[in-house]
Amino acid sequence: MRRNWRSPIADPDSENPQARPSKVFATGARDAVSLPAFMIVGSMTGYGSLVQSADMDVWIALASTVGIWGLPGQVAFVEFVVLGAPVASMVLAVAMANMRFLPMSLAMMPLFRPSASAWSWRYLLVQLMSINTWVGISRKAPSLPVDLRMPYYLGYSATCLTAGMLGTGGGFIIAGAMPYYVSATLILMNPMYFAFVFAAMRSRSCLIALAVGAVLGPVFHLISPEWGLPFCGLIAGTVGFKADRMLRRRSA
Amino acid sequence: MSATLAGTDVWGGAWGLLALATMATFVWRALGTIIAARINPDGALFEWVACVAYALLAGLVARIIVMPVGMLAESATVDRIGATAFGFALFFLTKRNVAFGTIGGAFCFLVLAWARDAGIL
Repeated sequence: MRRNWRSPIADPDSENPQARPSKVFATGARDAVSLPAFMIVGSMTGYGSLVQSADMDVWIALASTVGIWGLPGQVAFVEFVVLGAPVASMVLAVAMANMRFLPMSLAMMPLFRPSASAWSWRYLLVQLMSINTWVGISRKAPSLPVDLRMPYYLGYSATCLTAGMLGTGGGFIIAGAMPYYVSATLILMNPMYFAFVFAAMRSRSCLIALAVGAVLGPVFHLISPEWGLPFCGLIAGTVGFKADRMLRRRSA
Repeated sequence: MSATLAGTDVWGGAWGLLALATMATFVWRALGTIIAARINPDGALFEWVACVAYALLAGLVARIIVMPVGMLAESATVDRIGATAFGFALFFLTKRNVAFGTIGGAFCFLVLAWARDAGIL
């Protein structure tokens, strides 16, 4: 079986260049509602319940979802505040838990760079980035003209952020009222979704990196819960990148 | 409010701490954006960075499923892995349909966790 491996790099080709930004915004919103928004409501419900059980304010809960907008960092924030840990250690824990945003923004922002209007909004766009919105734009960008990527991404992100706030507020209110098997399912659903989004990818270098990363992630976590993940990314990503180059050379 | 954090008064209570946590996250976002302005999106470096990002996320997802922390940690490991495997079977049977895999896998986990809760398993 011979497959056509796609490059992980988006080619700025054009599919319907006349499409209007407002229409593309709506398409982005619709794509987000198709599945991701529901999962965000689910996982943020867990977060809202956590904040409630930590005896913190509902406004802090909502503001932390909008401001931090990355669940592992949010959880670290709440846990360290509850623990009464020193401020510096809280800041460090949140930063470590959300370190993935560095390679993610590095990989995402070049999608917006060819569009001058999108690039001038780059710090807003990167603040809206979460794994869900990153996955959404990474999948769609190759088929979108460069100037329509921002409206699509904004529609997608606005929907995800709304879902995040609904989940956080809802979870805060109904904390403890849901049976365990329901809340656990809601939390597990999002990582499962990512597993399938990744498995559906067509880029060979990324697929190798994903497979190696999935194996190394848990192993490295056992070695070092703090540093395991960045090293997993660096090593597995490099393996995927190199293996793809070698295979390409061999078939050439 | 459990604002027992050392130095909390200095930092304006929970809101001050949240501002710091938000900044601690935004540093990575901003740094990535600044560096992204300097790398060629058609070059090998960008392709490598994309691989690293995907590998890191795959590692995170696998870690959450195999050895979660927090609320998920109370569920049975075999349930999480079994449900994910079931989702993957559906995913490949439906020609890589993400929605079928996700919903099928989640439903399978829901049934398993419910059965444990009800004492059936």
